[in-house]
Amino acid sequence: MIDLDKGSFRDPSGFVFYKDGQIYRQVNESYKDNYELLMSSGLYDELIKEGLLIPHTEVDSKSSCSNECYKLIKPEMVNFISYPYEWCFSQIKDAALATVRIQKLALARGMSLKDSSAYNIQFVNGKPTMIDTLSFEKYEEGKPWVAYGQFCRHFYAPLVLMAYKDIRLNQLLRCYIDGIPLDLASSMLPGSTKFNFSIMANIHLHAKTQANYSDKAVDVKKYTMSKMQLSALIDSLESAVNKLKLDKVNTEWGDYYNATNYSDDAFNHKKQLVESFLQTAGSRYIWDLGANTGVFSRLASDKGIETIAFDIDPIAVEKNYLHCKQNQEKSILPILMDLTNPSPSLGWSNEERMSFKGRKLPDTVLALALIHHLAISNNLPFSKIAKFFSEICSSLIIEFVPKGDSQVNKLLATREDIFDQYHQEGFEKEFSKYYTIQQREKIQGSDRTLYLLKRK
Amino acid sequence: MDKLFDILNYSAISYLDPGTGSLIIQLAIATFVAGGAFIKIKWSAIKKYFSKNK
Repeated sequence: MIDLDKGSFRDPSGFVFYKDGQIYRQVNESYKDNYELLMSSGLYDELIKEGLLIPHTEVDSKSSCSNECYKLIKPEMVNFISYPYEWCFSQIKDAALATVRIQKLALARGMSLKDSSAYNIQFVNGKPTMIDTLSFEKYEEGKPWVAYGQFCRHFYAPLVLMAYKDIRLNQLLRCYIDGIPLDLASSMLPGSTKFNFSIMANIHLHAKTQANYSDKAVDVKKYTMSKMQLSALIDSLESAVNKLKLDKVNTEWGDYYNATNYSDDAFNHKKQLVESFLQTAGSRYIWDLGANTGVFSRLASDKGIETIAFDIDPIAVEKNYLHCKQNQEKSILPILMDLTNPSPSLGWSNEERMSFKGRKLPDTVLALALIHHLAISNNLPFSKIAKFFSEICSSLIIEFVPKGDSQVNKLLATREDIFDQYHQEGFEKEFSKYYTIQQREKIQGSDRTLYLLKRK
Repeated sequence: MDKLFDILNYSAISYLDPGTGSLIIQLAIATFVAGGAFIKIKWSAIKKYFSKNK
């Protein structure tokens, strides 16, 4: 049974489909010359060597689902697909730099990127990697970079907005699937950015030029640029992105582990319990929900278990990613996610980009020091929380934080305690509807309890 | 109508619409930065030329 990828339809060069749980990409006849050039020019090998392109093998095309098929390729499977509105600042920055690097290598081999969509990049083994093998075309002397506008909308505008206005503004990418409109970015940026050449040129003037020419008939063919000019443009974009830095911002969670009430003993005991529960559960692919900077996620990822570390706080995700990068960690992917409003399915027919629950689900979820935020800060009844977890995982390692714990007291300090049902018996009763309690251990030096639950 | 097709000429080649404004501004930026890069490369020669003429 062939299942077409819902997000792969814009480019007539080919498309992605799934068969028997495997991913394939059809290369259409119309893309034949470009595909052969990619493979024969040495560009493919170079990109694979640098880890910038997803590797593929050519397979028998008889099982292809269309008669326009020139070749059928089988790219390496990416388990967890993530989107730019789920990335922290440095992830977007590294994805942008990877795109620029790919374009530079392509130009050196007589090819050029025909699009620069952020959705073509995925984090594979910790590194931003191009997944669209059909994004390359033969470079034609004199032709400007067709993907320049898209690069500014998908990468540069979000980064500049995050660096100069507010770190949360990458969320605009959720609203604008083809990148942040430059007139919007321009109108939101502080006036001082007009004194920065790169931002002035690539955002402010770019937006004005777009507006000026939006209804004018112009023969664009007469606008040509030499390869030297194009290379200088790419270099300048690389330098502009490289210069962008995030101001140090203190957010709610960025300093959590230093500000928490744990004693060293409790912290170490919790670590031991999590490790032991992970082993008992036999986890191979986990989601750590409320992972903060990934201290507990690493108990899994350091053992080679593929781990997606979600957190609501952009600074925590940033710190987690920078840690991964510095230590060249391959098994952990930090992701920005608000669990009370997780990524929906987006795009054409609500199918182009997958929802949070639409991704490949894990076998185990870690939910440490999370329950009180869901139940108390967000007024979620245990029944709804238990149902949510039962829909995404068969094994659940969850920490119950009772009233009286300083973190819960903090949440209740500024509001009326309307949470009569928030107690350990109520928690066990609701979760027992979906799960069997496999293990239950008190965390030494605290009032908290750690559970290993198995779905019924 | 012909003019409309002129605008979309690059789009006919590429599936992505590069946008007229984006094409024009990138040409302006590319010309500027390429000029800057050229001067940077030749800077020592330019300095030498002017110091000789002093």
